Amino acid sequence: MSDGPILIVDDDAFVRTLLREMLADQGHPLREAENGHDALSLDGPPPRVVLLDLFMPEMSGMEALALIRDRWPDTRVLVISSMDSERLVDEALAAGASGYITKPFHPMEIASAVERALDS
Amino acid sequence: MPEYWIGDVEGRVLGPVSLDVVQDLVNTGRLTEITRVSRDGRNWGTPAGFPEVMTLLLNAPSPDALLQSERGEAARVREQLRAMQGRPPHEIFRLDRNASVDAYRNAFFKLVKRFYPDRVRAQAHPDLRKAYSDAFQFLSRLMVHIDKELSIGVTVSPLPVVRAVPPPPPGEDEPLTPIPAPPPQTARPLSVVPRSMTPLPRPSPLVPPAPEGPYSYQPHEFVGFERRDDRVEVTIRVTARNSRMFTDHPLANLKTDGFFLACAKSLPLGTLVDVIFRFDEERREVRSRGRVILENTGGDPTRPSGFGVRFITLVDQDRRFMQQFVEKTAAH
Repeated sequence: MSDGPILIVDDDAFVRTLLREMLADQGHPLREAENGHDALSLDGPPPRVVLLDLFMPEMSGMEALALIRDRWPDTRVLVISSMDSERLVDEALAAGASGYITKPFHPMEIASAVERALDS
Repeated sequence: MPEYWIGDVEGRVLGPVSLDVVQDLVNTGRLTEITRVSRDGRNWGTPAGFPEVMTLLLNAPSPDALLQSERGEAARVREQLRAMQGRPPHEIFRLDRNASVDAYRNAFFKLVKRFYPDRVRAQAHPDLRKAYSDAFQFLSRLMVHIDKELSIGVTVSPLPVVRAVPPPPPGEDEPLTPIPAPPPQTARPLSVVPRSMTPLPRPSPLVPPAPEGPYSYQPHEFVGFERRDDRVEVTIRVTARNSRMFTDHPLANLKTDGFFLACAKSLPLGTLVDVIFRFDEERREVRSRGRVILENTGGDPTRPSGFGVRFITLVDQDRRFMQQFVEKTAAH
């Protein structure tokens, strides 16, 4: 999995672009999907880290999280959401997320969360 | 634990989550337009078919109650700010006394996020907006202070407090303690002219020499804005005098990966900006992309109007060049 990409899953193209630009300097391969279905149908090596939105059409982020954990158990999932209820954070972490980042986020915060996930 | 899936008007789905989470999100105004509900993620119905969800929606705070609750939150934020002022920074950020600047920065971003001004809804109580803004500014200035002290190798000290703040009388909203402000600036608003109407300025005898003393932006230093599909292109002529756009603002400066452009025009928070810096004296052009992270449309009289941008993309080589440019101009 060492050559797996960082996968950005968000229905908002603007957020995907922003995350891509924030992570571009880190040198990791990046891939994108606009919903959970598309994310899970990607071929190639399993992603090392998934940045996952929670509120998406087609398949919710929580459902995608469960399926990603099932299919790629070694993949770290960082939830990125504007919904900052503490109880939602707890439920996302209990469902297998490695971290929860609330929007708006800062580039350094994203970069350091991804590096920590890669190191864990 | 009961599980719920919630759908909104845009077809987005959240779930499975507990009813407690739905309640949190409804009560804080994060979920306002629930159009469908499911208990298994497959069979959906209108909210009316789920009495427990309808109860939440019907009991959602009224606009007045929300405003009242925001006043309460504003008071709590003030209290928190008061408690932070004068305390050693490592205690505020819950770090070891000898923490590295990176550890401080990480802790700063975590803590300051709570007070981002754009976390407040548009119709929020003005007290809450002010309290968030003050807390945000306090932490931002504190981080700049930490950066400075650690860069010269001294132990981080608290930010000086202007005056002690007595506890507010019950139920009374008291203004926050003034945060030590930077030296007053006499920045004059800059007129912004569409690029199409403004030829690229060149140094010319017709351009009056920049006055000595405190810096003020001159119209000829600025080239213009150009709106594109999803972003704004800003072209700025950088001179020795206006290089302070990279250093003066405590939050938006080169050390925090940004700059503050003092001008009459402001761009809304979050705007994606393509920036072209033209360094006339060095005959160099630097291109970068950033996002507007703060704006001052006159609400903060201690600072000039304008907007601050944080870089999203800036090539290391360009960053070094800009840093050297700033250092060189500061030395003169």
